[in-house]
Amino acid sequence: MSPLQFAWRSLSRQPARAWLGLTGMAVVGALLFDMLLLSRGLLVSFRDLLESTGFDIRVTATEALPGMGPALSDAASTAERLRGLPELADVVPVRFGSVALDDGDADGGGLRGAKRRGLAIVASEPRRRAEWKVVQGSDLAERGPGGRPEIVVNRAFAREEKVEPGSLVRLGSAPPAREFRVAGIVEFPFEAAGERMAGVTLAGFLDAFPAARRDEADLLLVASRPAVGAEAAVAAIRRARPDLHTFSIEDVLERLRQAEFSYFRQVSVVLATIASFFALLLVTTLLTVSVNQRLGEVAALRALGFSRRRITADLVAESALLVGGGGIVAVPLGLALARALDSILRRMPDLPQRLHFFVFEPRALALHAGFLVLAALLAAAYPVLLAARLPIAATLRKESVS
Amino acid sequence: MSVRLLVLFLALGLGAPARAAAGAASGSEAPEILVSRGLLRECGLSPGDVVMLSADPHGADARLFRVAGVYEPVPDPARFTAKRLEARMHLPDLLALTADPGEAAAADAVGAINIALKDPADAPAFARELAARAPAMSVVPAAAADDEHFVIIERFHLAISVVTMIGSTAFLLALMVIRADERREVAGLLRLLGLRRRRILAQALLEGLAIASAGAVFGVLFAAATQGAVNAFFQWRYDTTLVFVRVTPAIAARCVALALPLGVMAGLMASWTLLRRPVLDLLRR
Repeated sequence: MSPLQFAWRSLSRQPARAWLGLTGMAVVGALLFDMLLLSRGLLVSFRDLLESTGFDIRVTATEALPGMGPALSDAASTAERLRGLPELADVVPVRFGSVALDDGDADGGGLRGAKRRGLAIVASEPRRRAEWKVVQGSDLAERGPGGRPEIVVNRAFAREEKVEPGSLVRLGSAPPAREFRVAGIVEFPFEAAGERMAGVTLAGFLDAFPAARRDEADLLLVASRPAVGAEAAVAAIRRARPDLHTFSIEDVLERLRQAEFSYFRQVSVVLATIASFFALLLVTTLLTVSVNQRLGEVAALRALGFSRRRITADLVAESALLVGGGGIVAVPLGLALARALDSILRRMPDLPQRLHFFVFEPRALALHAGFLVLAALLAAAYPVLLAARLPIAATLRKESVS
Repeated sequence: MSVRLLVLFLALGLGAPARAAAGAASGSEAPEILVSRGLLRECGLSPGDVVMLSADPHGADARLFRVAGVYEPVPDPARFTAKRLEARMHLPDLLALTADPGEAAAADAVGAINIALKDPADAPAFARELAARAPAMSVVPAAAADDEHFVIIERFHLAISVVTMIGSTAFLLALMVIRADERREVAGLLRLLGLRRRRILAQALLEGLAIASAGAVFGVLFAAATQGAVNAFFQWRYDTTLVFVRVTPAIAARCVALALPLGVMAGLMASWTLLRRPVLDLLRR
């Protein structure tokens, strides 16, 4: 009989205990698996978001987050100079702003006004890349029919204001508000749930914010040439404009890893450690008790010629069955739990809708398996020691007397 | 009414030349600012230093300010991972530093106005009324804005606790089953001596209660004893005075209230699975 079959029989003799052990392992394993998903989930998800824009480099005036620090002056000439670099495929200046929509009613032609609610504005050039995804209508043109500036809006805004492509909206940071023609409904990569967002051209931005300084940009979005790569392109920009702050996606993620996202990483490390310790304690306890109750049986097996190695193999197999069985159930259980926990955390205000805290990676599965193998081996260590050191004759005598 | 100035992202033009120039220009006449503890340490400042601040990334139109003191920023759970490199200054100084000279209205513009009501409970009604009267303004009760993050984090922690509790309940049940199994023969003997099942179950209940109470009290004491270490670690890690863990009487009571019934139930279930068997079976005869 193989050690695995032997271990199976040992567990089957105490079904309640085995089921409880497996249940405990499955729950603790699910928690461990989730913490592994959480430890890198935000970074993986954020990388996907950044990459989905089609731009792999960001250039700002200072280290502050775009839109929160001083803007980049001479944006047009800076963008033009960077476009001349052979390492770069595209450079697009971007501006951010926010307005409260004009409260006035329509004055015909489907014109609609919003009531006291803000609208986040992203301004960019008519594009060649996927800063946002058009879901209805068309993308921005420099000027619409009748010379009106164009605007693209997200679903939340379109739904609340009941606008569609062709509708007119009035917006402005100060009276009088300007009319914009809705060119299309789009999906912004970083839009938060329920957040009202709109995109306009750089010229349209100045229509909406007449007091804004001309020729400024909060951010330059840069796409490197695929053959060159982001790192070489970043180096080229730094050589050309050392006064600017240039970040590749990796740089941005590193910064987030060190600061903004670090809390959830710390939480995941703490909880993963607790879960691993808990799993270890559970299996060690079950195996130790099991060995203590079967001392006579172990001694008899040794007397029949079972080697120490064989007894060790039996106990390790028993540990592997408990940990492995629980660990396998833990994966689907963990995925379901991760989905529930993710839905809780994603309700945080101002969080991009497409950002996830728990993201599945094959790496997490491999780590999960590694942790469980380690737990199975460590959990078996003490019971193995007990069984291996067992004095055969004395134990048999004690068993027969009792 | 108070106006809160957050000057988070002003470009700081600091260094020996700046200080020398500042000193030459009689820094004692410079307007005063307070700097956050983080900024003081990051830039190696000390009270009395004269610094140059500019809203331009290249340091254009810099103005002199004298560091009057240092302050600890109010801990913000929504931004505790960020370095708090901040300074506070008088509103006219900030406007003079940041306003566009070409825009007349900029010299009299503020980003936000904080309002303290006589009765904080009136905040939602006041916000509604003000929003109706000034449609272009966004009026948000401060408590409402802050609460949302807390509520979400609390829900997340609660969900994690529930999962942990399910796992530990399975563990506890397994231990109780083992324990009951070990006392199988004793239970059989007691039954033979005439003790009824209910009497033995009552004994198991009392034992479970004692063990669960001891475990719950130990857990609460352990949490109370280690909360300082947890807070110290996270406060060091994020350079904040925010309190991350606080074992309050309400939380301790909730833990005990959950642990006791769980412990007792686990003991009873394990004992019942044993006691329902025939006496001879318990005695392995």
